[in-house]
Amino acid sequence: MADTKSGRYSSNAISPLVQSPENLECKNFQDYLRTRQTPESLEKLYNHPPICLAVFRELPEIARQFVIRILFVDQPVPQAVVSSWGAQRIAKEQEEATNCLTALNVWRVTAIPGGLSAWELSPTFKKSVRQVLLGGGKPWAMSSTTEKDSKPRDIAFLDSYAMSRWRCVLHYMVGTGGRNGGPDTDAISPDAVRILLHANLMKRDERDHHTITITRQGFQFLLLDTRAQVWHFMLQYLETCEERGISLPECLSMLFQLSFSTLGRDYSSVGMNSQMLTFLQHLREFGLVFQRRRKENRFYPTRLALNVTNKNGAEASTTADEERMQERGYIVVETNYRVYAYTDSPLQVAVLGLFTELLYRFPNLVVGVLTRDSVRQALRGGITAEQIVSYLEQYAHPNMKLVESAIQSKSCLPPTVVDQIKLWELERNRFTYTEGVVYNHFLSQNDFVTLRDYAQSIHMLVWQNERTRTMVVQKNGHDDVKRYWKKYSKSGG
Amino acid sequence: MVNVMKGVLVECDPAMKQFLLHLDEKLAFGRKFIIQDLDESHLFISTDIVEVLQARVDELMDRISFPLHEKDA
Amino acid sequence: MGPPKKYKKERGAGDKFAKKRRAEDEAFTQLVEDNDSMDNASESDGVPGAASKNAETNDENINTDEYGAKDYRAQMQLRADHTNRPLWVAPNGHVFLESFSPVYKHAHDFLIAISEPVCRPEHIHEYKLTAYSLYAAVSVGLQTHDIVEYLKRLSKTSIPEGILEFIRLCTLSYGKVKLVLKHNKYFIESPHPEVLQKLLKDPVIQKCRLIRSEAEGEAFIQGTLDGKAITQFGTKLPTATDKPAEETPTTSTAAAAPGTDGAAAAVPDDITDFYEKIDKEEEDEDEANLKTVSFEVAQEKIELIQKRCIEIEHPLLAEYDFRNDTVNQDINIDLKPAAVLRPYQEKSLRKMFGNGRARSGVIVLPCGAGKSLVGVTACCTVRKRALVLCNSGVSVEQWKQQFKMWSTADDSMICRFTSEAKDKPMGCGILVTTYSMITHTQKRSWEAEQTMRWLQEQEWGIMVLDEVHTIPAKMFRRVLTIVQSHCKLGLTATLLREDDKIADLNFLIGPKLYEANWLELQKKGYIARVQCAEVWCPMSPEFYREYLTTKTSKKMLLYVMNPSKFRSCQFLIKYHEQRGDKTIVFSDNVFALKHYAIKMNKPFIYGPTSQNERIQILQNFKFNAKVNTIFVSKVADTSFDLPEANVLIQISSHGGSRRQEAQRLGRILRAKKGAIAEEYNAFFYTLVSQDTMEMSYSRKRQRFLVNQGYSYKVITHLKGMDTSTELMYNTQEEQGQLLQLVLSASDLDCEDERVPGEPGYRPGGSGTTKRTGALSSMSGGDDAIYYEHRRKNTGSVHPLFKKFRG
Repeated sequence: MADTKSGRYSSNAISPLVQSPENLECKNFQDYLRTRQTPESLEKLYNHPPICLAVFRELPEIARQFVIRILFVDQPVPQAVVSSWGAQRIAKEQEEATNCLTALNVWRVTAIPGGLSAWELSPTFKKSVRQVLLGGGKPWAMSSTTEKDSKPRDIAFLDSYAMSRWRCVLHYMVGTGGRNGGPDTDAISPDAVRILLHANLMKRDERDHHTITITRQGFQFLLLDTRAQVWHFMLQYLETCEERGISLPECLSMLFQLSFSTLGRDYSSVGMNSQMLTFLQHLREFGLVFQRRRKENRFYPTRLALNVTNKNGAEASTTADEERMQERGYIVVETNYRVYAYTDSPLQVAVLGLFTELLYRFPNLVVGVLTRDSVRQALRGGITAEQIVSYLEQYAHPNMKLVESAIQSKSCLPPTVVDQIKLWELERNRFTYTEGVVYNHFLSQNDFVTLRDYAQSIHMLVWQNERTRTMVVQKNGHDDVKRYWKKYSKSGG
Repeated sequence: MVNVMKGVLVECDPAMKQFLLHLDEKLAFGRKFIIQDLDESHLFISTDIVEVLQARVDELMDRISFPLHEKDA
Repeated sequence: MGPPKKYKKERGAGDKFAKKRRAEDEAFTQLVEDNDSMDNASESDGVPGAASKNAETNDENINTDEYGAKDYRAQMQLRADHTNRPLWVAPNGHVFLESFSPVYKHAHDFLIAISEPVCRPEHIHEYKLTAYSLYAAVSVGLQTHDIVEYLKRLSKTSIPEGILEFIRLCTLSYGKVKLVLKHNKYFIESPHPEVLQKLLKDPVIQKCRLIRSEAEGEAFIQGTLDGKAITQFGTKLPTATDKPAEETPTTSTAAAAPGTDGAAAAVPDDITDFYEKIDKEEEDEDEANLKTVSFEVAQEKIELIQKRCIEIEHPLLAEYDFRNDTVNQDINIDLKPAAVLRPYQEKSLRKMFGNGRARSGVIVLPCGAGKSLVGVTACCTVRKRALVLCNSGVSVEQWKQQFKMWSTADDSMICRFTSEAKDKPMGCGILVTTYSMITHTQKRSWEAEQTMRWLQEQEWGIMVLDEVHTIPAKMFRRVLTIVQSHCKLGLTATLLREDDKIADLNFLIGPKLYEANWLELQKKGYIARVQCAEVWCPMSPEFYREYLTTKTSKKMLLYVMNPSKFRSCQFLIKYHEQRGDKTIVFSDNVFALKHYAIKMNKPFIYGPTSQNERIQILQNFKFNAKVNTIFVSKVADTSFDLPEANVLIQISSHGGSRRQEAQRLGRILRAKKGAIAEEYNAFFYTLVSQDTMEMSYSRKRQRFLVNQGYSYKVITHLKGMDTSTELMYNTQEEQGQLLQLVLSASDLDCEDERVPGEPGYRPGGSGTTKRTGALSSMSGGDDAIYYEHRRKNTGSVHPLFKKFRG
């Protein structure tokens, strides 16, 4: 049977089953630049050396080579020359690098005498990178302090401070903020709430406009690791900063300056404009910087800020220090689907409660079990099996890693439990529904083949059978196909 | 001439297709809902039935699953 | 205390004949499952009122949090040094224990003594305090105060008041009074004079007291418990110079000194101190001549006083001071030097013979972990006449084998008493028989009658009850009215029934003395490491179509005969044959069994297979390198012993029976030699047809093993099966023929095989019962065989038997 499946259609569907609801979309820095910025705005960003440095650092290795090789060449370099730099066997990587540089507007095509195409670095980008490498230009907004802090803060303090601030945001999301009091549960600012709403991590209740509840994307967000959470959150912040009158390029530049700073050192905010001071206050709220008092000039970047540009947690190497920063593993998952969590944190319990049936709560332990119902409920809420598994892995109790089978395989969870969670997900996906239109009763094979080939050519064919002369076209392709059929019939084909 | 009908293409494994045929035959939703039986893993069905259909499938899955965990063992 | 349960009308010792007739109605239910209909007031006979206490409901008033969890946080305070302590105690009696704690071993030994294991996977184990478990605790010598105190010290939090109350309630009066047979006189003995005073205020008990001379008067007999722990099992009495067993290497798990733990430094002193103290107290009881008081009771009133004591919540612990029994002759039997006990076997026996006397109770060990050696050793330790009860003729033979293998007993000492083998009992030391043989009520041959009479006249030193979980309380009561024995040892792999009635056995036989941890035995290599797998076989569309429309009984046949299940089975058999494995395929459904086996040309055994043929097949499987796969019906579950195999495939099974599942797993648990390097050395497959009720049954069956730490890998796709061209039912046409075959099958074919001892199976109650030689061989010499019988309610003859007789 010659079934043809092309892209599934995804707009204006009537049933949530026919169209899957929107899920949390996490972008890395490059994706962000490519999809959210125009070439013009990219140029604006490239005026800021810290941003260029961050872009440069995250380029694929070959792309970095290209940039370095042509950085000090003042004429465009013929494309043929650039492609000759790499061996044939890395042609694919080379092409990726080329595409990446183009997409980010780091270089562009230009014609050189003789009709050849050549690459030319964006002058702004070039200037900024040169500055970063050689020095010069304007001083960065963030500067070293002149006086020694009489009560310096050590890294352990900064780590714990950062996490406690960041947890406030998370607590707020699961509705446990401010309930029990205590330093962990301070309320968050209206600005932070606005970001959560903008990011669609939370939404206003349709009936009661004062109540704000977490969304499916919000739940998915909670299952990310801290680094990914902070990065996603900051991207959302950047999208809203213009409307609060703060310049996006300046914010981004500052964010990257922080990420290049040294952990445990203090910096001075002297010389920052009022916009940047506001931004600093926001960063303070989310735990990216520590500042004793609002008005104080001295501030310390925290690990949250230093990690912000890392593409994502999985790729970045985790040092022992960073591990200490992450919350210690506290979840035990047993082969009989029992889950034991050493915690009394309302946030951790709330996240666990997303996909676990909780049975007992002791002062320092929660006893629960993964059931088909509890996992299905999470799946219905838009959480994926993969997210559940990776969350459990991420916070697995240290003892889980000592089990024989965990040492042999890459996951420390019981394999049967992982399998089962995935099977529960598969069980829900045994049917795929595609809204469409069926065409049958063709008079001639020729008519059928013609129309089918047309539908196929516009990527709207989802199923066909030549023998029964039946085909199914995506709903939004119907109009096109119909029009084509009319034209074809009239022409007497 | 060509006949054209709107609906939903369902793709599933052959056993599950039998389940849908079974529901259709015994008028489980009070009426026939299969517009065309396409092949062993595809059916074309009425759009408005999708949700109650999926509910029925969930019901089937509920029936054949058994909680591994007993709360009061 | 709850109101005392009424004791059913007395069963006088001379009234046995009448009882035999009454027993006609009693079904021998072997596979008692959810559908057990044995709800009967008399079930609670011989069970004290407090035993019905249940901590489970203690937390009913406790609030649940926003996630629906019971919130115990307000009930307890976390202790400052909680990280050094290993457990949590919930107000409903559930106890959670960290298996990775440095004090795990202490806590584990303690919890095993006072509570029932609920689940014991890798990291955190769950136990449950029950009235029965606490009864067991006090009967092995733990005191209320010790239990409470030690639990407090082990716990990370304060202990909920309700639990402390529950423990006190269940232990204060239990285990304080013993019935001791000493120098052939019966004594009620206790270290607590006030308890005896209380008992003697009871008019019934007063009447049972035996005062031999006026001079003796009302005073108690003062005594000291001069028992000495038995450290060398199965040999003659230990001498005073025997080294304490703790020092021998084989008993390292028994009670190693806490100081030897590498991680002991992290353990709070109060835990280790107390452990030492409890440990010492147990020794004290053994060594330090504990002061006791006692009074003698008349032998003919023993049964009466036992009942009365239960009614007034002081159940008597039966202890047998066999070393001071001079009336019953010793039998000359010892363990062979080659019989070396494994640590857990020794530990379980230590619980039984802890104070130099024999305690009655149940020892739970997984199949393949050497239960029979424990039984043989117990008999060799008591060295008095021993009666072994098991549930099939084949088992009888096997027990005899075991005695000859491990002990010095020879043929002249061992008497088998079954429908087929009737050795002369007189003068034998060990009698091996089946439950049904001694409890059945049909007319016996003259020979058998003689043996029964003899058996009833004996004062047995020890009675070993094999597979004790298979006998319902009712049947067990019957055994007790027939057999007079000084102590009873129950052996089982799973104290598990789908009903809770197994708990009553605690009072009828004695408390659970020991229960092994499967995962630990597996890790130490005592039992095989089994990979359990559930293989999902998609229903063929044609079969599923029929499945959806057909009536219930046919549904079963459809999912068992599903072509893709057949193909998976064939594939697995081929795969394992190539590896050189020995495979047993189980099918409860006879139609499928025969079809699969015949189609694949493999030998098979089911009910009607003759004894000779069975032996032939089993011998071939064992020794013939060409016979590597056999098919068996569920007669193989209980009726005969299977030779060693390392692969087991289930194609159809008995509904959701957890016990059958555990039992079948047990068939491949015997540890394989030299296979330690592999991650798994045995394989247990269950083939299930996808999208059918079989999926649900399969999960239900797995619960027990999953709680023992086993995990079932779901295999949705057997690698290489699609490309294998040798498999049958490859074409649509063949599959169509198979479907026709299934559709034309009779209703009878749709049913599981009926085996004696199941709910559906009622041994004949009418006088028309016939037992022919040919029929008796059907179940392999089982004594309750397929015979014509009437269904209790309908009176119709089961179609199966029509067939078998026809």
